[in-house]
Amino acid sequence: MKDAEHEETAPGAPRLVISKLSCSLVGKIEKVRIIPGLLAHQAYGDQEVSEQFACNYGLNREYLKKLEERGLRITGVDADGDARIIELPGHRFFVGTLFLPQLLSRPDRPHPLITAYVRAALSFQAAGHPHK
Amino acid sequence: MNMKKPIKVGIIGDFNSNSPFHKSTNESLVHTGIAMDVAVDSSWLPTESLDVEANEKTLKRFDALWCSPGSPYKSMNGALKAIRFAREMGWPFIGT
Repeated sequence: MKDAEHEETAPGAPRLVISKLSCSLVGKIEKVRIIPGLLAHQAYGDQEVSEQFACNYGLNREYLKKLEERGLRITGVDADGDARIIELPGHRFFVGTLFLPQLLSRPDRPHPLITAYVRAALSFQAAGHPHK
Repeated sequence: MNMKKPIKVGIIGDFNSNSPFHKSTNESLVHTGIAMDVAVDSSWLPTESLDVEANEKTLKRFDALWCSPGSPYKSMNGALKAIRFAREMGWPFIGT
């Protein structure tokens, strides 16, 4: 999608793939339901987790179908079914979150998603950076 | 002492030492490294420096890329180019 835009930097653009959330998530801890089968599920195990947010914008529902047709998968959703985690199956590790997992990381309790990410980096390094 | 080769993480973003989100990004990698007993060496990659044709050379030095919080970026194009590199070339990537 060549003209995909973000409402924060291009309000009024015709294709706002990232649009303003109906209510701000700044500073909120919210539940995220994990969809089984992909990386998020492998990392968390749990079907429902709590995560901390700091954002005002998110994936616009109107473009969901189009993005899914191109291979994007929603693997974490809020209570209304809106996207909170996205992944690209087929890629060794490509994950996007609307929340900030790093905010809940503690020295004695690293975040499961960041642990999974570092693990992917380790194998990628050990394999000598193979191109996909 | 940890003798293993460190994992190099390139953080796409314009580091601001006053941002708790940026600080926690660095810290979370340290926490994870300690728990996994691997050294994690992270570097911030200013978005304007990524808005060039030759950014592959920079990006290929890392074992993984992380797109940091903090939009709008100084260069949205630079951030998008780096994310596209990760997507198309298969580099481990997280965007938070």
